[in-house]
Amino acid sequence: MGTRVRASRFSLCLLALVASLVALTLTEGVRAAESNIYSNSAVNARLVSAENGVAPDAVSISLGLVLEYGEGWKGYWRTPGEVGLAPEIDWTGSSNLASAEILWPAPERFEAFGIENFGYSGEVVLPIRVMLEDRGEPLELRARVALLTCSNVCVPHTFDLALDLANGTGIDRASANAIATFVFQVPAAPEESDIEIDTVALDAKTSSLFVTAQSTQPFQTVDIFPEFGPLVTFGKPDIRLSPDRSELWARIPLNAWSDDYVAPLMTVTDADRAVTAPVVLSADIPAPPYARSASGSGPFQLVLIAAVAFLGGLILNVMPCVLPVLSIKLASVLKVSDQPRRVIRNGFLFSALGVLTFVWMLAVLILVLKWIGVSVGWGIQFQNPIFVALMFIVVAAFAANLFGLFEIALPVGIQDRLGAGSDRAGYAADFGTGLLAAILATPCSAPFLGTAITFALAGNAVDVLVVFTALGIGLASPYVLIAARPALIERIPRPGRWMLFVRMLLGVLLLATAAWLLFVLVGVAGWRATVLVAVSVGVLILLAMTEWSSVSLRRILMAASLAIPLVGVGLFSSQQRSEASTGTTYWQAFVPQDIARHVSEGHTVFVDVTADWCLTCKANKTLVLDRDSVADRLSDEAVIAMQADWTRPDDEIARFLERHGRYGIPFNIVFGPEAPSGIALPEVLSQTLVLEALNRASTRNVVRD
Amino acid sequence: MDSKKRSTLLTLGAIVAGYAALRTVPSLLPEKLELEPLENPTGFRKYVAGDTSGGFDLFVGLDTPEGAEIVARKEAAFERVSDNICGALYGDLETSAARVPMASFSDYYCPYCRVQTKRLAEMTNSMPNEVAVAWHELPLLGDSSNLAAKAALAAKRQGAYVSFHERLMKTPFQASPEYLSRLAGDLGVDEDQLVSDMESAEVVRELENSSALARVFSFVGTPALVIGRTVVQGQISDRMLREIIDLEREDGWDSACMSA
Repeated sequence: MGTRVRASRFSLCLLALVASLVALTLTEGVRAAESNIYSNSAVNARLVSAENGVAPDAVSISLGLVLEYGEGWKGYWRTPGEVGLAPEIDWTGSSNLASAEILWPAPERFEAFGIENFGYSGEVVLPIRVMLEDRGEPLELRARVALLTCSNVCVPHTFDLALDLANGTGIDRASANAIATFVFQVPAAPEESDIEIDTVALDAKTSSLFVTAQSTQPFQTVDIFPEFGPLVTFGKPDIRLSPDRSELWARIPLNAWSDDYVAPLMTVTDADRAVTAPVVLSADIPAPPYARSASGSGPFQLVLIAAVAFLGGLILNVMPCVLPVLSIKLASVLKVSDQPRRVIRNGFLFSALGVLTFVWMLAVLILVLKWIGVSVGWGIQFQNPIFVALMFIVVAAFAANLFGLFEIALPVGIQDRLGAGSDRAGYAADFGTGLLAAILATPCSAPFLGTAITFALAGNAVDVLVVFTALGIGLASPYVLIAARPALIERIPRPGRWMLFVRMLLGVLLLATAAWLLFVLVGVAGWRATVLVAVSVGVLILLAMTEWSSVSLRRILMAASLAIPLVGVGLFSSQQRSEASTGTTYWQAFVPQDIARHVSEGHTVFVDVTADWCLTCKANKTLVLDRDSVADRLSDEAVIAMQADWTRPDDEIARFLERHGRYGIPFNIVFGPEAPSGIALPEVLSQTLVLEALNRASTRNVVRD
Repeated sequence: MDSKKRSTLLTLGAIVAGYAALRTVPSLLPEKLELEPLENPTGFRKYVAGDTSGGFDLFVGLDTPEGAEIVARKEAAFERVSDNICGALYGDLETSAARVPMASFSDYYCPYCRVQTKRLAEMTNSMPNEVAVAWHELPLLGDSSNLAAKAALAAKRQGAYVSFHERLMKTPFQASPEYLSRLAGDLGVDEDQLVSDMESAEVVRELENSSALARVFSFVGTPALVIGRTVVQGQISDRMLREIIDLEREDGWDSACMSA
């Protein structure tokens, strides 16, 4: 491995070198001091000296190894990365040379075929600080340079460079400038840099290195290079910056770890500055606080993501999660079929606005939650028992209304606000329909949606608003379509007896939705709270159906039957989640930290993140995971099937999702010897997809020759 | 409204099409299969890639100046392989006119070599009747690369060459007894055998042969690959690789071996 240079010595050398270069630039040079040139298509190399001769009393000389890499060729840093080789110089045969130290300019990161390498391309000068044995005496340099260059083939080079410096003064301005340029690119010592590395922590659980740093001057294009000796290698870092770009958080996955690591160095590079600091590993793992810096969302990317969000919203309309909503949409279509076009158009526009309003509310809520530091996800409102109870009340009331149990608007007006029950053809009702449709659409993720939400949640406020708006427009597009073409409505037959049947059918669908919400509530809040909510809603509907002499008493009772379940759910929610019998026994509890161990033992691990409120998850389970071909594979001894139940809030699951770039469920991922970092599956599964991923993760493509 | 909808659709379609084009077009651009006959050794030819492998004086390694004895051994190896190039390249692979042999030369410290080893292993797995691979180590990058090569060849003697290389990706190579012991355990190979093979005369001779072959073919670096009678230096796409294999089968790859 290359010459290891201790960070603390950097600063001294740097200062001395810069000082002598600045001094030297003041006097005019006479004759260039350069070695012979080694040259081929991969690299041109020569030694240059800032000084044309050894001045009387000189104790040191500033050299540079000039490397001009050919087009497409790369060379390596002192730590080359996973593979590759650092340049080495053997000075045997030189005279009057006490020591020579290479100062390594900050490297670039190269990625090829999933292998991370650090090095240089184009032209680089490796500044070399030479100390003389006898001050003021002539210097003869004999350098045997060994270096590796790679393009699509790796070519090693060994060559000899010779440079003699007689007594004399004067400098070679061109060489001095070239060396100085690269001296300024050598990372500074910690005490001289405005970048401060705060913590470096090793987390065995996620097998990653966590780094935090801060800077008085905002970070621009940051990269981070850990050096733990040849036995430890790292993957590509996930680097995030705080909104004002003064703080940095990074997670660097470990590719290979050894407890015999050498004293670690950490180099942080930024536009035109860098720091290298010796570090001590700490046990405190810093939480990921900021948005991804790499995304640095350009306007084009944002537009692209907005298009993706729109598609996601559009597809969400046909996901199983939205099935209950279809009935509400149909009901509203029927309601308006005999009205003038203008009213129809406005009504549907208001519904679309309702959808958008909910989406905006969600965006604002997410921003607030993010701001106070709560981890957020798509559909997590269904983890809140009060929300589920409220949804149940609204849907149950709506169903009762469709069945014709009561026709009058509720005194407290929840129908006017949230549903479309009122006979007054108010736009408020249309608005409420859209709102309710959007709310019920959120428990599940859909293809494309995950990508967009992930981007938004990792981005800033503008990203969140743009993405959510696009998503809302996608979700509302069926309404917008009808608003644009009200004539479509006129294709529906005139109202008649058939409408009664459709109303009943829709009522049944909504009743099913209510039953599902009740089921979710059992999962979220327990049996007692669920019974309380169901009974209260029953009472509420009875009250609404019957005629009362005392209007005020009725109002009080109805308000009470509304308030009791909501308060009750909060109070009676049982903390324990009853173990759901999954029917099949091969599902194990979700223990993320065991995944790596299982994989190292040669097992394949299938993780299914699900929740009671996620209908797409249920569909996946019934149509794919429980089918024989997949179930056989999952119950196989070589496969460990883990189920994570996200019905209730769970930080561990939320973190697991976030680590894999998802914020919503369904989420399924397969780990195995061939895929230690996991193969994430799309939201909607198919048997082939699952089996293929299992095969891909487990097959060892090993030829025994 | 119609025109608005149409333009929305068009925009969306354009985005999707643009993305698809970006993803697929580069791989559709025709790569030219350009072959150039080699003057020496006769009968072989070279795949002319984007050409980065030209312009180097001689085949070099990162080795130290060598004594007369080593030079003599190298010369002997050079004579040996020159007399029977195909034998040295492909050893005792079972080949036929339809089963094209390949000789892969790699170095532990060379990034692309890993990819090539894996790719060739997958290829022999998926088409065992069409291709066969002889694994060579060409440690050009100093002492550790030399030791890793010896360990790889020792593992090869117990049928674990590819798994050895895959294993090295998870923990970097170390020349310590503890590391080799752990490695042997993980690979399910005999540890004592592995250690003694590493220093055996056969492994040394094999390295000498591979190095002499590199001289015969004027390899400038790693990875290098000889497919039948076609020499490939550096990275090559899977498609190109398959095309050369097909060509070798059609052309009769063994003509070079007969003339030699």
